[in-house]
Amino acid sequence: MRFSRKYLGIPYYIFLGLFVIAPLVVLFYYAFTNGSGQFTLMNFAGFFTNPNTLGTLLYSFAIAAVTTVVCVLLAYPLAYILATGRLRRKSGIIMIFVMPMWINFSLRITALKEVLTFLEGNLAMYPFLNAVVGMTYDFLPFMILPIYTTISRLDRSLLEAAADLGANEREAFLKVTLPLSMPGVMSGVSMVFLPAMTNYVVLDMLYNSTYIMGSLIGSYFSAYNWNGGSMIALILLGIICLFTYLSDSDEGQNNTRGGALL
Amino acid sequence: MFRRNLNGRRAAFSFRGRKDSSAAAFTAALAAFSVAAAVFSPSLPVFAGSSTAFANTGSNGAAEETATESSTGAAEQTASEINAGAAQSTAAGKKEVTLRICNWEEYIDEGGWGEDEKIDLPSGDVFGEKPLIEDFEEWYEKTYGVRVHVEYSTFGTNEDLYNMLSLGDTYDLVCPSEYMFMKLISEDQVVPLSDHFFDTSDENNYYIKGVSPYLKNIFDTHEIDGKPWSKYAAGYMWGVTGIVYNPELVSREEASTWQILTNPAFKRRITIKDSVRECYFAAIGALEHDKLTSSAFLQDPQYRTHLEEELNNTTPEMIGRVQDWLQDMKNNVYSFEVDSGKADMVTGKVAANYQWSGDAVYTMDQADEDNFKLDFAIPEEASNIYFDGWVMLKNGIRGDADRQQAAEAFINFISRPDNAIRNMYYIGYTSFISGGEDPRILEYIDWNYGADEDEKDTAGYNLTYFFTGDDEGTDPDYVLTVPEKQVNRQLGAQYPSVGNIRRTCIMRYFDKQQNADINRMWVNVRCYNIKKLPVWGWCLCAAGAAAFLAMLVLRIRKSLRVKVQ
Repeated sequence: MRFSRKYLGIPYYIFLGLFVIAPLVVLFYYAFTNGSGQFTLMNFAGFFTNPNTLGTLLYSFAIAAVTTVVCVLLAYPLAYILATGRLRRKSGIIMIFVMPMWINFSLRITALKEVLTFLEGNLAMYPFLNAVVGMTYDFLPFMILPIYTTISRLDRSLLEAAADLGANEREAFLKVTLPLSMPGVMSGVSMVFLPAMTNYVVLDMLYNSTYIMGSLIGSYFSAYNWNGGSMIALILLGIICLFTYLSDSDEGQNNTRGGALL
Repeated sequence: MFRRNLNGRRAAFSFRGRKDSSAAAFTAALAAFSVAAAVFSPSLPVFAGSSTAFANTGSNGAAEETATESSTGAAEQTASEINAGAAQSTAAGKKEVTLRICNWEEYIDEGGWGEDEKIDLPSGDVFGEKPLIEDFEEWYEKTYGVRVHVEYSTFGTNEDLYNMLSLGDTYDLVCPSEYMFMKLISEDQVVPLSDHFFDTSDENNYYIKGVSPYLKNIFDTHEIDGKPWSKYAAGYMWGVTGIVYNPELVSREEASTWQILTNPAFKRRITIKDSVRECYFAAIGALEHDKLTSSAFLQDPQYRTHLEEELNNTTPEMIGRVQDWLQDMKNNVYSFEVDSGKADMVTGKVAANYQWSGDAVYTMDQADEDNFKLDFAIPEEASNIYFDGWVMLKNGIRGDADRQQAAEAFINFISRPDNAIRNMYYIGYTSFISGGEDPRILEYIDWNYGADEDEKDTAGYNLTYFFTGDDEGTDPDYVLTVPEKQVNRQLGAQYPSVGNIRRTCIMRYFDKQQNADINRMWVNVRCYNIKKLPVWGWCLCAAGAAAFLAMLVLRIRKSLRVKVQ
């Protein structure tokens, strides 16, 4: 049998089958059956009629949204300054922001807990704030890096052209840099917003006792309700798909048409 | 002055996640994926569980074996053991049994004690040189002439264990808490202990000879589906629930009631276990405070039975009241904690913490090392007494008599008083073993907590109930002289006083319906209820939804346009 490059793909097909397709199938199976294996839509209906699960969805949304906004507000100026400014040792500064990622997660949050306790006194008084601070601390590098990469790869001649055509710096930023850096922002958002909806370990460690989506799913599983838990996981997956669809940057198409630049 | 040896028996940060739920949630996430593997390849145990099974090859200590109890051939046998698989015949023609054990994390002596940790009792020294598992393998071969190979794995929570079993992991011997082994027994997953196990004339039957009569009685008198526990389960460790508190901030009276959890004087300064069962128990204790502490109720001849009924009340009405109380409590406590409770007590971040007695001992030990004194109180309404017991699983034993014999021998071996002491010393929980005719358990308690001769404030501490089963009498042999403060500290937690033990009751196994009701209640307590959303919140939501829809419409139009082009 002749060697074909197709064979190189076999391990990946096996991987996809075992760890992506198969779990999804099982997830669907559990989500749409009840405890005795019969088809049911009750899990789905149950999620959308229970004020507590809906409230959890909203609460997770709120935490994730605030975290994302804070991350963008912090990361964009920093990435912009680093990418366009005349700073020396840029990579060193980037590294300082990224370095926490290389330190064990629970250690970082434990340290943050001590800092917050020092600042706030009693942590339990500000559960929402703590959750947002913890998530921001955890996810900020994921926002900085893509924005920095997009801005630093930006074609400087476009800015010169804008200046030639009479745009001042502010206009050039708003009309050229900002739109062209949006793909970076969007990829940062998808890396921050979606994990922030489920990362309940941060909440646990910072004494926020309200469930978010991740802990809600966990509680269903430890109560042996795999069906309900699977359905919530599936609903979350649906929401994530919807968001990915929305934020799906179509820069490729734009570039061929030259759309956004004009 | 007390003689407890505290030099870091347990590593400072190795907090045991007993019954904790964060680990459960982690495994739940893993479980979702393992399910897939289990469905598609039920024969592949590699995928079927999240446990960390490792083969205890027993090769570590082999070289250093000196003139201890090992036989001459042990060294070579241990070497070949490394390659040994399941029950099979070795080259020498000797039979070998594989025993798969699953126990709580850090719930057995792992040996390697320092020279200064030797427990010198009048009846002989107790010392953990090698892991107890290795000692068992040697002992079994020496006693029965059959080689046994232990595959030891661990679990984090009862629910984890149950999920692991559901996913197809096979074990011969597991050690869940009482409500979980009740569940397993009621699901017909458990092999009853053999008649021989209860034969006191066999000198190797250390469990039946040494088990505390008080606890044995509980196991004999409690049933699930008409089957007494003792027929299926052999106790390992037990304890009660209570409040660890900082005596400088909290008075003993304040800490001695479940109502401390809603006491506004300690707003945001108490942590509570993130566990629905523990919270449910505490809630009923607090809600029924007046009734449970009334003299009429206390003097009822059927007191223990009625107490158990009260604390296991799962009527919809009670579940509703518990929910309201827990919601109040959630707004008053510092937080539900998963495993930070012990550390937060030791560092002084919180004033009190709802804790299991074994972990309470650990917390107080840790604080003692920092010269920071913590006390332990058992609430006056009632306290939850819990048991971790060994049960043999049908799925693992599969009618194999050799395997079952090895499993029962393992229970007996770790029930031998010196081994029970090693475990207690290592993990801080309280063993089921009172020793029977062997005095070492009593000597150990005295070694650990007994007052020095020059001690001034001493108190008599009556443990007759534990050694004889009689919770009303006083046998001077079993009254220890201890430093007065120990009554409210480690001793009072590890071996509750007779007054406290009378107020303990078991939390039963909830059936499917009760479980569903209580878990729904728990979700209601823990989740943000959308009905509480203020008007401005709804406005924000509406704005967000509108923006979302607008983006969606734009996005769809865009993709349509691209297609047209």
